[in-house]
This record gives sequence, structure tokens and C-alpha cells, in this order.
Amino acid sequence: MRSMLKDTINGLDKILFVEIPKGSVILVTGAEGTLKSGLVFSMMTNHIAANDEHALYVTLEQNGESHLRNMNSLGIKKESDLHIFDYRDMRLEWMNSELDLIKMTEEVIESYKDKYDNLTLFALDSLNALYSISEHENMRSKIYNFFTRLREEGITSFLIMESAPSRVGGQFSQFHQTEHFLADGTIELGMIEGMGGVKRYIQILKMRATKHAMEKHQLTIDENGISIRGPIY
Amino acid sequence: MKMSLKSMPDLCESQEDYCKKFVDRIIKSNREVFIMYSLLEKQMCGYDLIKQIFSRYDVFLSQGTVYPILYTLEEEGFLHAEYSKGDMRSKKYSLTSKGREVAEKDVEDFSKALEQVSFLLKR
Repeated sequence: MRSMLKDTINGLDKILFVEIPKGSVILVTGAEGTLKSGLVFSMMTNHIAANDEHALYVTLEQNGESHLRNMNSLGIKKESDLHIFDYRDMRLEWMNSELDLIKMTEEVIESYKDKYDNLTLFALDSLNALYSISEHENMRSKIYNFFTRLREEGITSFLIMESAPSRVGGQFSQFHQTEHFLADGTIELGMIEGMGGVKRYIQILKMRATKHAMEKHQLTIDENGISIRGPIY
Repeated sequence: MKMSLKSMPDLCESQEDYCKKFVDRIIKSNREVFIMYSLLEKQMCGYDLIKQIFSRYDVFLSQGTVYPILYTLEEEGFLHAEYSKGDMRSKKYSLTSKGREVAEKDVEDFSKALEQVSFLLKR
């Protein structure tokens, strides 16, 4: 059987020793510019290139064309079976209506699953955008139900969440603790300033039922795409 | 005979709840056929499609179920999308020649299937 995600990024096996269980809900957090979207999109497109499967990338932050331009500028190419859904048209055409974007997102996933039996990966970019344009009433309960629904769908989900440049005292803000607690895994991306300048890092903070490294590892990007190097101390 | 889905509710003798429930289910689970059927008549944006299907069949197809179909049909080359002149808020979809062929065939097959089911139930 083909590898799930471990081999999708050069060096990912340095921090992920076994496959992530199918149906896991994984948070990908980090400050602006830490390659959250690039990492997730790259994992998805590389996975789809090697497997006869479909993936869905939902972007709320920008439209599909703009997202693709960004990915192209990072040297990341889109596979045809990786589908991008953006809310631009829907939001513009229904600007006078209140849209429940959490429910909409569940329906969008359902629609793509109806169309493509072998939809195995889903990404939402980003949870922050979803919160900023959603009704905040009962948000915790809505998010709990959303995470549960994603898990039940049996597709591996990546939820991108922008966080403050660094966690204060190693702790997430109270609001983000909810997502961290509910998720099966949390991957943190960040930047460290040292003697050699600023370096990007990746760290798996949590991954249920999956053996993984705890250290921060350097994350690089060049013409060959994203790579994970050795630990940073 | 050219098939039409315009008179779908007429398949029911009345608009009573039990009948509406089935019409609702049939349309929702075959929404791609109804979307393509609507686009056979004229180009439309997602908003217009939802409104037209609601006014014609009294069935509301939610945005989260219509836009993904428009996007995937466009990806597959069955639809062409363009923004209206001077209005970047509304993306109009029209059938490509390949899409028109598929839509006409699907509408015809679907209509025949409905007639067949109706015939079998009344036998």
C-alpha cells in the first residue's frame, strides 16, 4: 500500500515516524509567513500525485486563483485531482444574506464526496477566517461538532490556524486551547532568530496514535519545494 | 419527444406535503441534472440558479451544495465561467458544447427514469 503522508515532503520522515491515522483532524498553526498554506498544499498535491485519490482545499482567505499564484511562486504545482474551493463568488452574490459558513463547509465537503468517492484529504485555510465571518454564538459547540463531523467523514483534515508569533510561556491562548484539545494533532510552524539569521521551523506538538519527534526541525524552501532538515537548538 | 423537467411538481396530483417531500428529495439528490437543465436555457450565476430552482420547483438547494457542482463542472470542461461585464460580483456560468451534449442526454435519461418509476408504481 502506498504511503499516506509521511513521504509527501522531503524529510518529513525525520519528524513523523509512522503514518497519521486516516480521518485525523490536524491543526497547522503558526504566525504569518511561516509556510502553513504552502506546507499543507504541498503535502496534499504530492500525495495526490502518487495516489489515485482526490483532495479538497477550501480557502476563505483568498480566491482560488490568488492561492494558486502564491503556490506557484513557491514552486508548488497543483495536481488536477486536488480541488480548490473558495467562497468568493458565494459571498459576493449572497452579500445580503447571513451564511453559516461552518454548515456550508460541511455541505461543500459532502458535495465533493458525492462527486468523488475517493476524496481522502481536506484542508481549510483558515479557521481564523472562518471565525471572523461567522456568528460567534455557540462557537465552541459548533467547532466541537465540526471537528466530530470531519472525523466521522473518514478524511484526513488539515485546519490552518494563524497564531501569535510565539506562544506565551509555551501556552496557547484560551480560545486556541479548544482547537488544540479537540484536534488529533497539532503541527506548529514558526521562525527562530539566531546567530545565522532567521530560520523557519516545524514542530509536531501532538499527534494521537502516531510516533513522532518532539524537537523543532528546520524548514526550508527552494526550487525543489519544501524540505525538513535537522533539529534546531 | 423533447424532455422537460419544467413541470416536475405536476407529477404530483397536488402539492400536499407527502408529495413535496419526495419531489424535494428527488431534486436534491439529482441537483446536478437540474442545474445543467437550468443552464440549457440561459447562462446564470449561482445565485440566479438557486433562485430559479426555488421558484420553479419550490425546493431550496443550499449554496454549499450548488457552488461545488458549478466549480467541478467547470473543472471538467462542461461549464464556462465569466464575470459579467462591469460586474465582478457575479460569475455567470454557461454550458460548453461538451456540457450541452451531456446536459441534454442527462435530462432525457432522467426524465425517462422518472416515467419508468411512475409506470412501475402504477402497474
